Amino acid sequence: MNQIILNILYTAFLYILISMSFTIEYYISKFFNLFHAFVISFSAYLVYFFSIQLNIIIYLSIFLSIVISSVLGVSSEYLFFRPLRKTDTKPFQLMIASLGLYLIFQNILSLIWGDTSLSIRQDNIEAGYKIFNGYITGNQIITIFISSSLMILTQVFLKYSSMGINLRAVSSNSSLSNIWGINTNRVFICSFFIGSLIASVAGILVAYETDLAPNMGFNLFLYGAIVMIIGGTGNIWGLVEGAFLLAIAQHLGAYFIDSKWLDVIAYITLILFLVFKPLGFNGKQLKKVEV
Amino acid sequence: MEYILHIFVMILFYVMLSQSLTLTAGYSGLISLAHAGFYGIGAYTSAILSINFGLPFLITLPLAMILSGLLAAIVSIIALRTVDDYFIIITLGIQVVAFSIMNNWMELTNGPLGIPGIPVITILGFTFSSKLSFLLLTLFLTSAVFYFLRNITKSPFGRILIALSEDEIFTKSLGKKVYLAKVTSFTIGAMLAAIPGVLYAHYISYIDPTSFTVNESIFILSLVIIGGMRNLWGSAIAAAVLVILPEVLRFIGMPSNIAANMRQIIYGLALVIIMFKYGKGFVSKNSAGQEVK
Repeated sequence: MNQIILNILYTAFLYILISMSFTIEYYISKFFNLFHAFVISFSAYLVYFFSIQLNIIIYLSIFLSIVISSVLGVSSEYLFFRPLRKTDTKPFQLMIASLGLYLIFQNILSLIWGDTSLSIRQDNIEAGYKIFNGYITGNQIITIFISSSLMILTQVFLKYSSMGINLRAVSSNSSLSNIWGINTNRVFICSFFIGSLIASVAGILVAYETDLAPNMGFNLFLYGAIVMIIGGTGNIWGLVEGAFLLAIAQHLGAYFIDSKWLDVIAYITLILFLVFKPLGFNGKQLKKVEV
Repeated sequence: MEYILHIFVMILFYVMLSQSLTLTAGYSGLISLAHAGFYGIGAYTSAILSINFGLPFLITLPLAMILSGLLAAIVSIIALRTVDDYFIIITLGIQVVAFSIMNNWMELTNGPLGIPGIPVITILGFTFSSKLSFLLLTLFLTSAVFYFLRNITKSPFGRILIALSEDEIFTKSLGKKVYLAKVTSFTIGAMLAAIPGVLYAHYISYIDPTSFTVNESIFILSLVIIGGMRNLWGSAIAAAVLVILPEVLRFIGMPSNIAANMRQIIYGLALVIIMFKYGKGFVSKNSAGQEVK
């Protein structure tokens, strides 16, 4: 039982990290950016490329990977979504365009590194530290630590920095904040930068925990999207509650039924939520439900 | 010759799939990524019924359609509480659940091993074992689907669908039952998607879950989008082009695993280009049926 609690803790913090990275883009741009899923897998593959194929030391390759992935995320907004948004597209059209972009890049990734899964762990798999009769690996502790500190940093940024206040203004009303002299384009760039940065961190952490495959980002992205729909985009606590709910449902399901039904459990949780609590945990931002 | 007939059969399968999705995604605006799921439900229902109970094609086909439609109705009643991009995410969820059931419910579907030895179609004593006869059967069913969809989209019901996809609240204010129309459209789309599923199972005589993945759903959706959303002929042409394309790539000497990736890159590119070109509503026809420049 203790082991399950530790696993839930790890999974929940991983989901918080992913959904946070995605929500901060959704918060501003108001569409499901599927290209975000590519940023997650791309960062993991870059670490593989730098550290295994080019033999660069691990910290430098992680740093390079995060920088390049963030630049990729920002340039997708600058070169792709901004021109598209100018033509007054609806959110679902942007989503389909991002799906097309995701398909192109994911297949290029498959062409370069192949469809099979790769490993970036060089040392043997460790049993981990023993806490409360359960085992937790060093990597999982790092994930929990990074996730919670990034969560606090993002909250501080949104609450107190001037850019964070601009972000919140653009989120609540984009055109009005433009009238008040906020540079909306810069706010979009900023949100995509933060989102891609957190996403690349999440991708690298997952790559060290499990292995990497070209479509790994897509599954993670879907869990992040579920957490966001459950929690609502309004504040961070919704995400935390959503992530814990999803992690608890999945781990208890895996324990009592079978671990092969993880995806099914995730989506059933989502559907039950939409039936009984269609506004999400914090109940305001999810205005798309029930016209 | 056999090879060319095979390609024609595959084209007709995708024509049926894309046209049935044209009703759901194009006319009523419910972009669905669950279509391969219903395609798979059709295939699995027919395969299991005909192997375990020895039922003939003329019984398994309607049963598969009814089961697929029933599941679609139940699922869409829940999913249609959401709209636009939330709805797309929910249909993606339905697809993942359907795939997971096909892949994991070992007792029923035999999991990743698939179901081998599905018998060939026999109707009233005539066996459709040769490729040519099967092609003619598929062509007949494709034309039936096309005829049905063309009539239903021109009917008052079709006009309600077009109206609600353009302005839902206004359509509601005219006294039309919007929710019911959406559920009906989603259900009909899923029922029609079961037809190529049944045919596919009997044609290949072996099915496994990898034929019904999320990528397949994305492919069918991009056929509809490339075809011009509300254009039955357009989606048929898109299906023909995109099925032939990887074969052409293989002919010019590209290894088949690279050709598979190239195919995805090409339709991803097509999606991107179409979204850029038709930024203001990529629907090629407006409600009055005129071309939009």
